[in-house]
Amino acid sequence: MSKPNKARVFSLKNFPHDFVWITGAPVVLWHRPKMIYTSDKAKEKIRGGALLIANHTGVSDPVYMMIGVPYRRHFFVVSEEVMDKPVGRLLRAMRCIRIDRNNPNLATFREIVARLKSGELISMFPEGRISVEDGTSEFKSGMVLMAVRSGVPIVPMYIKPKTKPTERLTIVLGERVSVTELYGEHPTFAQIDAATKLLYERETELSGFIDKNYK
Amino acid sequence: MLMTRQEIFDRLKEILVAADSGNKAITENSSEQSRLKEDFGLNSVNILYMVIAIEEAFGIYFDEVGVNSFATVGEVIDYIEGKLK
Repeated sequence: MSKPNKARVFSLKNFPHDFVWITGAPVVLWHRPKMIYTSDKAKEKIRGGALLIANHTGVSDPVYMMIGVPYRRHFFVVSEEVMDKPVGRLLRAMRCIRIDRNNPNLATFREIVARLKSGELISMFPEGRISVEDGTSEFKSGMVLMAVRSGVPIVPMYIKPKTKPTERLTIVLGERVSVTELYGEHPTFAQIDAATKLLYERETELSGFIDKNYK
Repeated sequence: MLMTRQEIFDRLKEILVAADSGNKAITENSSEQSRLKEDFGLNSVNILYMVIAIEEAFGIYFDEVGVNSFATVGEVIDYIEGKLK
């Protein structure tokens, strides 16, 4: 387990991120979500390095993830499709890490693992793209390898897609999953796939949790 | 550390067998010509895993490679050989 990241309150490196966060505060307050935790364990603060994963149904999801866990600065893993556009430079300053989905490279992987080990929170969408179909698409297994190499837990989050713009945002946070506790530090390919499947099931359970308890 | 090409191949095979012991293409039919994706059925995460395991086993550091940098076992061996020289 990595040590908690004692990020300084003010740092020039984080200025673009914090500037947007502060200036966007009124919007955040307006859109404050209804947070649902599946258990007391899920409610515990995320300290130290962790991978936060969520379903991806719209372009606002990164903001919703930040609102869902507002006490931490997030790094986001963003696809080459977005990062290679002019906006990519701004996103880089906003703590986004570029990943090439067609040819993932070692440099990206090393950067993510190093940041997780140093106690940062990294958010990503394991579906790899915005899901156009109903429900959550299949997960990619890269997150499992990242979590194993850095020894951090994976925290599943479900963002309930809004049916109308005025609807209040609902976010469900589940219990964290430690792949190293399940399969050790050197899992086989089959175990990596099994962990990916387990996380997918957890995500589906989070969606079902709202239907079961809040309808 | 000087290793022959065959020794590198054997070590690489050990790594792959440890990670995917049920894969007959690796355990029985592997050769330098074997293709990582098509013959062994490895995906991008499996290849990253293999590269990291190679770094640990051989004590080398891969430069900025992508998962498409290696198509066959022979190409991986070429890279390791070059690093061990």
